[in-house]
Amino acid sequence: MSRTKVERLLNLTAALRSTRRPLTRDEILQRVPGYPDDPESARRAFERDKDELRSMGVPIRVEGLAATSAEQVAYRIVPEEYVLADPGLDAEELTALQLAANAVKLDGVGGHEAFWKLGVESPGPDAPVDPVAHLRTDPRLEPLFGGIAEHHSVTFRYGDVDRTLEPHRIDFRNGHWYVSGHDVGRGEGRVFRVDRIDGDVRVERDRAFEPPVAPHPGLVDPPWRFGGDAAVTVDLVVDADRAAWAERHFGGDAVRARTPEGTQFAVEVSNLAAFRSFVLMFLDRAEIVAPPAVRDDLVAWLRASLDGSWS
Amino acid sequence: MTGRRTTANERVRRLLSVVPWIVARDGPRVDEVCERFGMTRAQLLDDLQIVFLVGLFPFTPDQLIDVVIEDDRVWIRLADYFAEPMRLTPDQGFQIVAAGAGLLSVPGSDPDGPLARAIAKLAAVLGVDADDVQIDLGEAEPLVLGSLRTAVADRRPVQLDYHTFGRDVRGVRVVEPHRLSARDGAWYLEGFCRSAGAPRVFRIDRIDSVEVLDEVLETPIHARSTDPGAPYVPAADEPRILLELDAEAAWVVEQYPVDAVEDLGNGRRTVRLGVSGEAWLERLLLRLGPHGRLVEVEAPLDPMVASRAAERILRRYETSSSGD
Repeated sequence: MSRTKVERLLNLTAALRSTRRPLTRDEILQRVPGYPDDPESARRAFERDKDELRSMGVPIRVEGLAATSAEQVAYRIVPEEYVLADPGLDAEELTALQLAANAVKLDGVGGHEAFWKLGVESPGPDAPVDPVAHLRTDPRLEPLFGGIAEHHSVTFRYGDVDRTLEPHRIDFRNGHWYVSGHDVGRGEGRVFRVDRIDGDVRVERDRAFEPPVAPHPGLVDPPWRFGGDAAVTVDLVVDADRAAWAERHFGGDAVRARTPEGTQFAVEVSNLAAFRSFVLMFLDRAEIVAPPAVRDDLVAWLRASLDGSWS
Repeated sequence: MTGRRTTANERVRRLLSVVPWIVARDGPRVDEVCERFGMTRAQLLDDLQIVFLVGLFPFTPDQLIDVVIEDDRVWIRLADYFAEPMRLTPDQGFQIVAAGAGLLSVPGSDPDGPLARAIAKLAAVLGVDADDVQIDLGEAEPLVLGSLRTAVADRRPVQLDYHTFGRDVRGVRVVEPHRLSARDGAWYLEGFCRSAGAPRVFRIDRIDSVEVLDEVLETPIHARSTDPGAPYVPAADEPRILLELDAEAAWVVEQYPVDAVEDLGNGRRTVRLGVSGEAWLERLLLRLGPHGRLVEVEAPLDPMVASRAAERILRRYETSSSGD
């Protein structure tokens, strides 16, 4: 049974791929063997086949008059959309790609198909490469990436609001995926955490956008610089035995002075809550020195907690 | 791939790659094709039987794909429409670009090397910029990561200056390293900790310095105990707490593995979770502040830890004055 279906799907692809003009469904049913005699069953089988081929990435184009009547619609596959443009990878580059795919495993994404297409040898079963990293993935990354590649807007629901986004880039940070771009509804750049998207992401194929002149910079900043508070420079002292850990997060540029007791940092902050949360990770081994408002905010937070939460 | 029935979908996808590959070559050997596409001989021959039947209306011999198997080599002709490989789908493109970007982000990788060049070329074909996908596998000091890699490769023990986060103590550990890996945004070293006399996992961003020791380990490095892909799960014997959280504190559920969540309405909920150490609990409660309340605490945890930690911090602020 599976054999006849494979045969029919390949014949359908061949017919659509070799035709110069788009074919109507009736023409296709005449030319491709294996469809049921009953017209209604044949129609349903064809629709299923078409969807199945599309799910494999076969770009079946719908052409012809407006789809008011199914008979006026015609289908074909055009070479520019079907054929893999040769990226011109040399042997060394292909090997590097293969190594990367073995080293960085995207959970839930599998198969060597992409590498077959590119001409990379499939790894023999005797050559297991230890993965260096595991990245959890999300099914919504595919349409988001598709939107970036094809410059199509995407729509989804986020924070109880329907969003239309011109997606520019995808970031993976702290174990989470983020998509950033131009939020059409709000008229400004936004970053969304992909796992907080509510439901599916739709690619709006009829809503193309111009490649951005100034793409969204994405999630370049640590959490305390990722917010709407007025930017301030905060002076922070971290005890010597925790200073190396702090420096890894603030960066060497933030160091103002090193003493035997500790290191002084000057940190740009535009999200006070995120900064406070981070400073508290140091328990009593760090202290906000200035400005007074930020220092007082931490003190007030601790007092409020003492009064309310833990008694 | 053997032992399991391949679906029609998988077979079509595979054939759309196998056929162009054979067309482009002058009679590759059957086992060469099998090896490349991870198929058994029987699978390939069965698939080629189908290709014999594929062609164009009216399916006269000159309109059918010509498959010749001779002297254990295979030729495919008259398949112009399958002569070229199909474009990459968005998920395939994403898979390769993300894996490449991930490996490029590892400290010490060559930003102008073959991988970077390959990603740039591929991105151009896919219609994206090479930096449209950015992967940060986790904080890691290049020097620390570099030393640990050397140690794993050369099978040498390391002396770590390590910050045990859960108990907020810093100390020196001697570890026989087994492997390095990144997951969920952080790098980890797995190994046998001589100081503890047991296998341990160390977060690399909590290692301040590494010294690779001269000794060469005899035991095979492959004595692995844990699955690097598995997320951290608190040990069953860790004491549990029950927290009541306001809507603002939803991040706790996302950041930590919790045993149970109960929805109280209006975004409020209670969660039960394991505690790896007193300092860990202090941090959690301090960060939650007024948005979380400790409802139950299992011994030996002290319900007053957070209050005492808050008082310690406040004392520091009271005994010093603001900087300006």
